Order: sequence, then C-alpha cells, then structure tokens
Amino acid sequence: MTIRREEMLRVAALAELGVAEEDAERLARDIAAIVEYVSLLEGLPVEEGVRPFVPGPAQVRLREDVVAPIPLAHPPADMAPEFVGGLYVVPRLGAMEGE
Amino acid sequence: MKSVADIAAAVREGRVTAADVAHDTGVRLAAADAAGLNATLHWSPQLLEQEATRVAAGTSDGLLAGVPVAIKDNIVTEEQPTTCGSRILEGYRSPYNATVVERLRSAGAMIAGKTNLDEFAMGSSTEHSAYGRVRHPLDAERVPGGSSGGSAALVAAGVVPAALGSETGGSVRQPASFCGIVGLKPGYGRVSRSGLVAFGSSLDCVSVFGATVADAASLLHVISGPDPYDATTVDAPPVAIPEHRDHLEGVVIGLPRECFPDDLDAGVRAACDRTVARLRSLGAEVRDVSLPHSRYAVATYYVINPAEASANLARYDGVRYGQRRGDGVDLPTLYRATRGEGFGAEVQRRIITGTYVLSAGYYDAYYTRAQQARNRIAGDFDRLFREEGVSYLFTPTTPTVAFKAGEKTEDPVAMYLADIFVCAVSLAGLPALSIPIGRSEGLPVGGHFIGPALDETGLLQAAAVVEQAVDGDAEVRP
Repeated sequence: MTIRREEMLRVAALAELGVAEEDAERLARDIAAIVEYVSLLEGLPVEEGVRPFVPGPAQVRLREDVVAPIPLAHPPADMAPEFVGGLYVVPRLGAMEGE
Repeated sequence: MKSVADIAAAVREGRVTAADVAHDTGVRLAAADAAGLNATLHWSPQLLEQEATRVAAGTSDGLLAGVPVAIKDNIVTEEQPTTCGSRILEGYRSPYNATVVERLRSAGAMIAGKTNLDEFAMGSSTEHSAYGRVRHPLDAERVPGGSSGGSAALVAAGVVPAALGSETGGSVRQPASFCGIVGLKPGYGRVSRSGLVAFGSSLDCVSVFGATVADAASLLHVISGPDPYDATTVDAPPVAIPEHRDHLEGVVIGLPRECFPDDLDAGVRAACDRTVARLRSLGAEVRDVSLPHSRYAVATYYVINPAEASANLARYDGVRYGQRRGDGVDLPTLYRATRGEGFGAEVQRRIITGTYVLSAGYYDAYYTRAQQARNRIAGDFDRLFREEGVSYLFTPTTPTVAFKAGEKTEDPVAMYLADIFVCAVSLAGLPALSIPIGRSEGLPVGGHFIGPALDETGLLQAAAVVEQAVDGDAEVRP
C-alpha cells in the first residue's frame, strides 16, 4: 500500500505532531516503506477474533483483583506540605534544571 | 577493568575504598569523553564523590559494594537529569529514583552516570540520539548497536564493569553482541519498571550489561523481584545467582533453523558453528528445531511497538513535561510545535506509524493481525520448551557484526531487520542473553541463548559454562 504525503500529514495531525515542510516527503516515503514491510502479516491465516497477548509468566496474570491502597514513592505531605483552602500547594513537577 | 565481584570484595575487605573506585571511574569516564566515545549524557566527579561517601557511610558490605554502574538515560534518577536522548526532555529532572536505582544503591553500588541512547530507546545503532551518535569502542566508524549503545560502549571500553540498559526489542542483546560483552534481558515482569520511561508497555524490560556472565548475574539478582510500585512484576523471588558448573550434561539445546539462513554473514556463521561444536563437547544434546512464525516477528514487532509508543509518547505535549514550543497561539499549535520540534526523525516515524495502524479502517488489518501473530510466535517457543523438551535455544544474536555509521539511517526497514533474531523473544516475554563467541575480522560476534519463563538462573548457568569453553576474543575464520 502506498501512503501519500497528504495521508501521512493527516495521521501526523491526529497524533498532534507538527511535520516540517522539508521533512514531509521523506517521512511519507519512510512510513510507506514501513507499512509495506509490515503488510507481510497479510500472509498469516485469518483467525476469528483475537486473544490479547498477555506477556510474562502466569504469575503476572494471577494477581488478586482487589481494591487496595496504592503505594506512593513519597507520601503527598512530603511533596506538598502546605494545605491551603482544601487544596495541596504543590511544587512544579518535573522542574527544569537551572530554574 | 576488574569484575563486579572483585571490586565489591576489595571494598568490603577494606583493600580499596569506594572513594578510590569513584576517583578511578571518573578518570576513565573523562578519558572516554576525551576520546570521543560520546557514551555519556551526564556524569560528574562531584556526584561520584557523593556516591562514594554514601557507600562508605552505610552500605559497604553489600553485594555490589563500591561497584560503579552506569544507567541508561531513560531510567530516572533524582541527582542527574533524565533526557531519554531527546530534546523534548532536555534538562528534565525526575522527582524520584527508579526502583532499580534504589535497589542498586541498597546493595552498595555507585551510580556512575547516565548513558547515551537512541531517542526514547527507539533504534538499533544509537545514531538516533539528539546528543550525537555513540562510537563503537573498537572502531569509531562503526555503531555500538542500540538503543542502549552508551551503556554497552562504556562496559566494552572498560570504563565501568556493569551497566543498566533497557530492552523493548533487543536493545541490550544487540549492542552487547556488537560490542563483545554480555547483555541479559530478563523475562517480562522479572524487574520493576517503576522509573523506566514507558515506550512499549507490553515489551519494556530493564536489562543488564556486564563484562562477564557472572557480572550480569550479580546485577540481575540485585534488581529483580516484585515491586509494589509496578503491578506487572512477577510474584517470584529475585533471580538467584547460579552455582558453578563445568558441563552441559542433560541440557537440550535447540537450534531454530529459521535463525541460520543461507545469507547469514559468513563470520557470524563460523563463530556459531564453533560454539555449537563446543556445546556438544560439553555434553549438551543439540537438536535442529523450528520457530515457524519467527518470519513474522519483525513485522509484528513494528506494528505493536509503534502502536504502544504512539500512546505512551502522547504525554510529551509541552504542558506536563520538558520543553515547550509554539506558546501563545492555541493549544493544538503548542502541542504540534512542541512535539514536531522536540522529537527526532525516528520517534516521529514510530508515532505516525503507530497512529496509522491504530486508526479506523486499518486497526484490523495491522494491529489485530499483529496480535494474532504475537500469539503464534509465543506459542512456537512454548511448544519447544513445554512439549518438545528443549532446555534452551541458541541462535546468532545479530545477522552481521557491527555495521558502519550511516549505513542504515536512510532505510528504516533495513535498520529494523538488524533485530531479526532478538525481537521474537521480546514479543514472547522470555529471558535471553548474548555472550561473546568470537570475532570476525576483529569485530565481536554474539551468541544468543533463550530460555523459558522464570528460568533466568538456569540460562545464566548454561551461558557461564559456554563462556568458559569459548574464547570470545578469538578470531574465527569462515
């Protein structure tokens, strides 16, 4: 299947990704090559429905499904000791270096 | 470079101090930077000194006492920035340490620094870093493999004895093979991913590099085990360090015929043939086996991986993390400018491909088919290990030795095919490792051992037997 430039740009917009004008042709060509390669999967016999693959051994799947408190890396009070008007006053998350 | 065990023993017994080790590590890191390896993104003598002080103050009796460990820069650390090799996260500093970092430190390790990688771990050559490509330690014109190329290059160059990387589809085993060291991917769920920046959530694994199997085993033992901060960790004890063994009697090694194609590089084939002969002489039963759906592995991987990447990387929008562009117009402009300018070419390719295969009209043709293929690929491994009595599989890690920089950057599919022997294992979530099995024209060749779920200890034990019997530095001629 050929992916044209316009279709690539439409998909990029769906992904909220700005594509520079000078990169558009190259990206469209690359995506077309990738999609053509993965079309190899058309050679697989079609199955009715699909079981979602669950990675990892059975122990991952057999975890008890119960509601429990979520352990936090740091209690909220460590990060936001101030509580004003019913709201935590928090520092900026992921603060930039040098700011 | 001394081994992990030698350094830890020397520190525990007081023959050297953590400060001595930290100082020497800083000297080697500075020399590697001066030589243009470009393997590090952040390290400093001051932080190394702090690490040594911390070890001296409390944890100098641990398994990794005073061992300097480099960390791939998609694993978060409080003291250093975490950039994922991307401009979009330039200067980002995490408010917490990854669980694996905390566990290394609890065992006495020192964090040596953060290592260069393909942007957001997307790549097979470490040429896709916003901070420049990493050089192969033996040949600066070649790539060290990727995406964990910085960690691999530092271990191979003898700068640190061990390092953490991450695997989504071969990103530790492939560079380990190219650089001539040991790279170990644990089974899915064996090691906590709390603090590993998410890329492909059904595939991602924190993984380890070491100069030897024993070094890799020590690190895996320390970082593995359940973690309340990661619900996908397996409820099983940490991976045990294997006992010494000197034979492979009773071990059945399968050679999947699909991994030894006619066009396999002659030097890689010769090193594999020599290793298979050693496997037999060590007492293993060697069988020809088949993984019939492995021909779909790369295609399956490059549907599932971009689909998951496009979802995971939606969070980098200029609002919650990192750099911001296009401010002051409207929200869509801010999102598109930030992401368009912040992400490099390979990340853009994966996001667009992932969005495409998940979009209405194409979902069944690509994503559903890929899920079906993944079940079949995993089923092939399951059949061999459960029904056909195979203990471990052996394949080449890569179809060629390290390729030249720039050789594949213009052809993304050619780059993806560098992972042809390793990504099926990632799709199946199994443990596997690469060990050096010889050299072809001076460049390392990796041998790839794959094991069943939860048998990392047995896999490491078998690999250690082979490591003793095969000279990984010896030139092998076709």
